[in-house]
Amino acid sequence: MKLPIRVSEESREPIYHQIETQVKALIVGGHLPPGTPLPSIRALASELTCSVITTRRAYQNLESSGYIKTVQGKGTFVREIETLQKEEAKQKVVYDAFQKAIEQGKQVGCSKGDLLTIFNEVIKRNFDN
Amino acid sequence: MVTSIVDIKGLTKHYKKFSLGPIDFEVETGTAVALVGTNGSGKSTFFRLIMNLLQSDGGSINIFDQDLTEKETEIKKSVGYVGDLLEPFSYLTVKELSSLISYWYPSWDDKRYTQLIERYHIDEGQKYGKCSKGTKKKVEFIFALCHKPMLLLLDEPSAGVDIISQRKMKEDLLNYMEDGKRSIVLATHNIDEVKQLCDYITILEEGKIIHSFEKDELHEKWARLWVSHVSEVLNNHSNVIKVEESPLQLVTDDLPVIEKELEKEGITIKHINRLSLEEVIEHMIGQG
Repeated sequence: MKLPIRVSEESREPIYHQIETQVKALIVGGHLPPGTPLPSIRALASELTCSVITTRRAYQNLESSGYIKTVQGKGTFVREIETLQKEEAKQKVVYDAFQKAIEQGKQVGCSKGDLLTIFNEVIKRNFDN
Repeated sequence: MVTSIVDIKGLTKHYKKFSLGPIDFEVETGTAVALVGTNGSGKSTFFRLIMNLLQSDGGSINIFDQDLTEKETEIKKSVGYVGDLLEPFSYLTVKELSSLISYWYPSWDDKRYTQLIERYHIDEGQKYGKCSKGTKKKVEFIFALCHKPMLLLLDEPSAGVDIISQRKMKEDLLNYMEDGKRSIVLATHNIDEVKQLCDYITILEEGKIIHSFEKDELHEKWARLWVSHVSEVLNNHSNVIKVEESPLQLVTDDLPVIEKELEKEGITIKHINRLSLEEVIEHMIGQG
């Protein structure tokens, strides 16, 4: 039940939020289909070397936004989410990732032009063979 | 649903050359607290006071909402302790020790005991006194787990223990905490144990608790910043722990506060890095 999640030491984002975003991305990307069991808050905390206070908070947020559900005594599972909601969430994930990339670019001193050049290069590399 | 399983207030113990406390200390149900400090900082004395092996000079200890001095036997039935308690019984074999100890615990699980003895490859026929340092720790660890305690007090449980058994101990402790109702206080010099097992960290130095915090708070607060220049205000700021040259950088224990301060002073941040747990602990002990 290991999740391919990483907590970044560099990121400004609180750890619970990093976990939330990455689990969401795995769910909307179809990597964690509905019904998939998730690690317990204790196991995930140990894996990511954070506290259960953090993993509990991430799971609570994911639960209240409808991505996962906890069944008493059984564990935590991925929920079935509506297709439309999934599409929205997909866009949000991508949007957030761009937002983060641009923040990091600004931090190292890139101008708008620099960022656009990099963006176009990456697009080109990924889509034009 | 935040409840304390351990609640200690104003605990003190005085010796000629060493004083512990006054210590206030709490453990939330379902969490693990790391007790960190240099050798001789008072960790073992603290544990011995909690186990009532030492008489305190003042303060109160409440475990499971009961006063330790009034309900010692009752409380200890649900506490597991690792901390060189078995030395006086060196002449007994592990097997003999187990029958002695299991007698005192109504909740002793014999099946679990056999399972753990096998898991850690313990020779039950060996005299406890003849066991190596690591094996003694393993034996104590097994005894501490077998009566399914609600609270584990572990004084360097993995010191001298081989790395494979250390891994097993970590697994067993994670499983122990899995139901979210059981708690651990763990004194350790092993940073990986702090990272992988613990939720809170308490730092003890010269008999006093100098810091106590949730582990992930560090991520949001402690940082190293590379900056364009430093002003007088910042040099003397209480949240600036350290300023270093070439390239100019500072360490802070409250990033949001310092960021505002830097903006006010017109100083640009070139880069921000989080501090590792080791670094933070080092700074805390250095300050204290």
